[in-house]
Amino acid sequence: MAEQFEPRIVAFLCKWCSSAGSDLAGVSRMQYPPNVIPITVMCSGSVSPLYIFDAFNKGADGVLVSGCHPGDCHYIKGNYYARRRIAIVKKLLDFIGLEPERFQMSWVSAAEGKKYTQIISDFVEELKPLGPQTKLRRNI
Amino acid sequence: MDKLLLKKAFPQWVKKLQAYRIYAPSKDKDIWTYEAVNTPEDVDLDFLTTALSPKKIIFPQREIYFEFKKASEDEPEIKEILPANGPTIMLGVRSCDAKALTLTDKVFGGDFEDVYYWKRRNQTVLVGLACNTPPSPNCFCLSVDGSPHSTDGLDILLTDMGDKYHVESLTKNGVKLLNLAKNLFTPPKAGDKKDLQKIHSESEKKIKKQIKNLKKIPPKLKGMWDSSFWDEEAMSCLRCGICTYMCPTCHCFDINDEVHSHAPLTGKRIRTWDTCQFPDFTMHSSGHNPRPDKASRLRQRIMHKFQYFVEHYQNYQCTGCGRCITNCPVGIDIIEVLDKVRDYGS
Amino acid sequence: MVNVEDLRKEAKRILKEGKVKYVIGYERGQNGLMPKPAFIKDPEDVDRLIWDPTCVHNLTKFLVDEKKRKAGEKKPDERPVGIVVKGCDSRAIVVLLQEKYINREDIHILGISCEKTGVIDEKKLANKLKGKKAENSELDEKGNFVISVQGGTIKVPAEELLAERCLECRANYPVVYDLLLGDKTKKKVEEPFKSLEKMESLSEKERWAFWTEQLAKCIRCYACRSACPMCYCDECVVDTINFAVTADTTASEKAGKIKWVEKSPVPSENFVYHMVRAMHLAGRCIDCGECERVCPLDIPLRFLNKKLEKEAKELFGYDAGFDPDEPSLVSSFKDEDPEDFIR
Repeated sequence: MAEQFEPRIVAFLCKWCSSAGSDLAGVSRMQYPPNVIPITVMCSGSVSPLYIFDAFNKGADGVLVSGCHPGDCHYIKGNYYARRRIAIVKKLLDFIGLEPERFQMSWVSAAEGKKYTQIISDFVEELKPLGPQTKLRRNI
Repeated sequence: MDKLLLKKAFPQWVKKLQAYRIYAPSKDKDIWTYEAVNTPEDVDLDFLTTALSPKKIIFPQREIYFEFKKASEDEPEIKEILPANGPTIMLGVRSCDAKALTLTDKVFGGDFEDVYYWKRRNQTVLVGLACNTPPSPNCFCLSVDGSPHSTDGLDILLTDMGDKYHVESLTKNGVKLLNLAKNLFTPPKAGDKKDLQKIHSESEKKIKKQIKNLKKIPPKLKGMWDSSFWDEEAMSCLRCGICTYMCPTCHCFDINDEVHSHAPLTGKRIRTWDTCQFPDFTMHSSGHNPRPDKASRLRQRIMHKFQYFVEHYQNYQCTGCGRCITNCPVGIDIIEVLDKVRDYGS
Repeated sequence: MVNVEDLRKEAKRILKEGKVKYVIGYERGQNGLMPKPAFIKDPEDVDRLIWDPTCVHNLTKFLVDEKKRKAGEKKPDERPVGIVVKGCDSRAIVVLLQEKYINREDIHILGISCEKTGVIDEKKLANKLKGKKAENSELDEKGNFVISVQGGTIKVPAEELLAERCLECRANYPVVYDLLLGDKTKKKVEEPFKSLEKMESLSEKERWAFWTEQLAKCIRCYACRSACPMCYCDECVVDTINFAVTADTTASEKAGKIKWVEKSPVPSENFVYHMVRAMHLAGRCIDCGECERVCPLDIPLRFLNKKLEKEAKELFGYDAGFDPDEPSLVSSFKDEDPEDFIR
């Protein structure tokens, strides 16, 4: 029987909202796919495009950047910068021919454990038919 | 041994060479480079010069030295990776590029032989193509002890004689290639020899650029270490490194470890091309950099080619291919710099 | 029409009066038609300065060099530097001013308008001349380039020889200057990003195939980085481990020295380098075209930067290099920034 492909998602979660939201999902025993490698960052605005390219270079099948809703950023403006930068990264990755479904951004607050599980489940379902990410993976 | 080969018989000869891996000039839009060819029909000798010299086949931009693996407390396993190439032919090598290989041979050979370089070098047969006209307006091979029909470093020299090639076979390996298709080669007649000489002497006359009195330059350079001459000349240099990457004699390299996984620790040690024109080329681990500015790096390039190499190996480290002049984005011309060196102070 | 004598006169004046250390301009090269950068220190040398449609280079990079050189000198000459710029080059100066990398007082800008045309693409010219050696080039009143070759002249409509970026130019005359030569009428460009249309209409598969083929050629000579005036970082992201760890290096500096890109010129690593460079130039690239001109393997690098220039304009209404007081693209935001892609 063929083993079903399990995508691996690298998720950059801001400490104050999204990471807390993922913790809430855990503490509340909500079930969601275990395909995520969470990386807590202080703010979604601190996520450099370099981290995203590096995640794909190291073989991530999908990358998620998640932060606080606009207006709720712990550092006031960080998520607004993220919104701009991630938009540009998304356009660049799309332009060079990477499947657009592989790179996502979301707003998840500390109370949105359920939303977090939904985002991950949807992401995994969208990645499964695409197969492993080979385009940008390091190949030496 | 001198023979003739009709141009229309050339593909048949190449077909007989299929036991070798053949590299020949190949065109991608406007850029010619040496690539592996699979069918004789892919070989096109109607080229001028290639962007990158054929040194990349003997001295590739990336060479794997060894693989290492260290699982926990065990001794690391090291597996030497020697080049896996078999017998190779380079078709259509210009005399300047072939001579350049004889110069890199001195560096990678001598008292301490580079295993990786020689594994490739010893298995490569060079079939040259004489330049009936200079491939580039910036050619100056005659000034640096070369010529458009020089046989230095070649196993066979082809000269285009219109509907046929004159084939001069120079080494055992060259003869071997001819013997694979003996019936295609015919002996030249007296008239052919005369025509050949005419083509060769005409080709020398067509080379416009020259460095006058190059012999005066190495001793002159020795006294110019502290001169402000280099600051002036290097003002427009962008330190892009193109001159060194395109040069058939440049051979500086960097060695790095590429780690592929951390548990177990596995990776490869690799050698890549490097260039003395990058600011961090001479960065010491103390933070000191003996060549922190463009002037010292330009001085290094000129002196290495026209003074140090002459002292060590009695040859200029330049074969006059002109690629550095053609490709420099800001028009720095090595001949102009050398002319100024020769006339400096007078 | 631009009269080069006016340029030489002004250069002579500012040099004679000691107002500038030297003037960076263009002079005739010895190899064919293309000029090369000139550094004029002596007022009597100003006749070396030329101006014609072959003046392609962006000389702004030498302002970056000047700053780095001054930083290494114990008693630097604090006088400004004169520089000849076209419209596109002046936008590069504006970006450097915007980022406070250089001060306005440190430069004396001799601006020249490209008027209705632009500069010649060397490769297009070589294709047109088919081996003939060009000796001179001029623009005539009818919008043709007049190229003198051995044995006569060739007249070519400008659009056939213009560099690709000149066809979409949005700054045909300098936006900042101390002296401006030439006409100050804005060239009308109907579709500023038309060159991207074809690429954007390709399917994902075709785009991927294109970029894989192109970036596989890259030999990581970093000429693109060296030619770009906006790439002025002392320590580039690809060089993080080449710079020394000394007794003074702090712990956080050491932790930051991650090897992001391997030195091997293989496609996966080439992609990281070029994508990071494109991101670092987002909202800063002013399309001087130097990166593509200097690439020895003819990789069409401009497309990457042009794409992000287009997105900056369309998504955020941002135009790099026009206003030195404007904040940079990625360190500013608007409430209306699009977020339809965010879940």
